Amino acid sequence: MKKFLFSAPLKERTLFLLSWASPVIIVFLWETYCRFGLIGPEILPPPSTVLLAAITLTKNGALLPDLGVSLTRAATGWCIGASIGFLLGLIVGFSSIAKAVLDRSIQMLRAVPFLALLPLVIVWFGVGEGQKIFLVALGVSFPVYINTTLGIRQLDPKLLEMGSTQRLTTYETIRRIIFPGALPSILMGVRYSLATAWLALVIAETIGASAGIGFLALDAREFLQTDVIVLTIVIYAVIGVCADAVARFLERRLLAWHPNYAPKGC
Amino acid sequence: MEIPGGEQQTPAVVAVQGLVRTYGPKVVLNKLHLRIRKGEFVALLGESGCGKTTLLRVLAGLDPIQGGTIQTSGTLAVVFQEHRLLPWENLWRNVSLGLRCGPAKEKAAKALEEVGLGDRLDDWPRNLSGGQAQRVAIARALVQEPALLLLDEPFASLDALTRIKMHKLLLSLIAAHKPGVLLVTHDVLESIVLADRILIMRDGCIVKEYVVNDYADKRTVQVDVFEALGFAGGGSPY
Repeated sequence: MKKFLFSAPLKERTLFLLSWASPVIIVFLWETYCRFGLIGPEILPPPSTVLLAAITLTKNGALLPDLGVSLTRAATGWCIGASIGFLLGLIVGFSSIAKAVLDRSIQMLRAVPFLALLPLVIVWFGVGEGQKIFLVALGVSFPVYINTTLGIRQLDPKLLEMGSTQRLTTYETIRRIIFPGALPSILMGVRYSLATAWLALVIAETIGASAGIGFLALDAREFLQTDVIVLTIVIYAVIGVCADAVARFLERRLLAWHPNYAPKGC
Repeated sequence: MEIPGGEQQTPAVVAVQGLVRTYGPKVVLNKLHLRIRKGEFVALLGESGCGKTTLLRVLAGLDPIQGGTIQTSGTLAVVFQEHRLLPWENLWRNVSLGLRCGPAKEKAAKALEEVGLGDRLDDWPRNLSGGQAQRVAIARALVQEPALLLLDEPFASLDALTRIKMHKLLLSLIAAHKPGVLLVTHDVLESIVLADRILIMRDGCIVKEYVVNDYADKRTVQVDVFEALGFAGGGSPY
C-alpha cells in the first residue's frame, strides 16, 4: 500500500512523458527524412523550414493580421451560432409546444451535413465575410442546440418538485436548478461546437478569401510554398487544441461540484 | 363545522374537507377529511398504495385534486424520502434555497448548526452520508419556519441506528420550532415514538385515529395500531 502511494505520482509523470515522446519522435523523424532528401521539399518541407516560415511571416507582418482575421471570423460565427442554438435549445427544452413545432424541423436540418450547404451559401452570400460567418454559425448552432435541449430534458424532476415546494420563482428555478443541472451537457455542446466552428472556418476560407489563414494557404499554393501551407495547417491544429483546452478549463471550473470533474483529493 | 374533542380551541394549520383525487378510473383519495392543529405531530400509516403519499403530495401542491377543499395557514415545507439536495450548490446555499427575507447565509448557518453540521457550510452534498444529507434536507425545510412540515418517509432509506438518532434530532427540532407535522411512514414504532396522533389510512380514507397520550402504556397503542393494520391478535408481526 505504502509503495503504491509513493509510486503513483512517479508513474503518472512517466506516463505523461511517454505521451509526449511519440509526437517528438515523429517530428524528429520527419526532420531527418527531409534532411536526407528522402522526402522532397515540394512534397513536405522539414519542420525547421516551417518554423522559419512562421518567423519570417511574423516579422514581415503577414501572419498576425491574417490570424486575427480568422480568429475574428471564428469568434463572430461562434457567438452567433451558439446564441441561436442555446436560445432554441432553451425554448424547446422548456416548452413541449415549442418542441412539437420546432424540434422535428431542426433534427431534419441537422441530418444535412452542413458543409453540403456550401454551394448554396456561396450563392446567397458570395464569397465574402457573410458566407464564412454564416457557415461557422450554422455548424455551431446544432451541437449547442442538441446538448442544451438534452441537458434540460435530462434534469431530475424530483429536484424541480423540491424547487416548487421551496416556492422558487420561475427565474430562481431556472438559475439555481435548470441551468446548473443542464450545464454539463451544455458545456459538452460548447466543446464540440468549437471543433465544428474551426472545421467550418477552414472550409469557408479555402473557398475564397482575401485575408485570413485560409487565404495564406491559398496564396502559398499559387507559389508552391509548401512550408507556408504546412504552417497554416499547423496553426489550425494549434488553435483547435487551444480552443479545446479553453472548453476543458471551463468544464473544470464550472463543474467543480460534479464527481466526474472534481479536483483530485477532494 | 363541529369537530368533537374541543379541537377548535387551537387553530388548524391545515384543514382538509372531502378531498378527492382520482387517477384515471382509480379513486386514490376518497372524500378525505383531515385537520392538523398548530404544533401537532400527526403520523399517517397504511399499506402501500392506500394513498398516504398522494395525500402528502396534494397538500404540498405537487398533485392536482378533483374535489374538496384544502385550507392552510402559514408556510409549508417538505422533506422527501430522498434528500433532493442540489449537487451543484454547497450546503449553506442548499439550505437557503427559497429564502428571501433576511440574511440568507446566517439563517442557513444557524439551521445547519441545529442539525449538527455547522462546520460544513461550504462542503458539497456529495461528501455527505445518507443521514447527514437528510439532516441538511430537514434544515432546508425548517429554515423556512413552516407552519406545516410534511415528511414523506424521510428516514426510510437510513440504517436502523442512524434512524434512531434522527428521531431524537427531529423531536428536539420540532420542540424548538413547533410546526404542525404530517409524517407519512411505514414504520409503526417510528410513528409511536414521534407522533401525538396516529391516523390509519385505507382505500383513500382515514379509517382510524389513535391519540398516543391517551395510552398510559405505549405498548398498548402499538397493539392497537398493528391490529388496525391487519395484524390481529399480536403486538408485533413477528
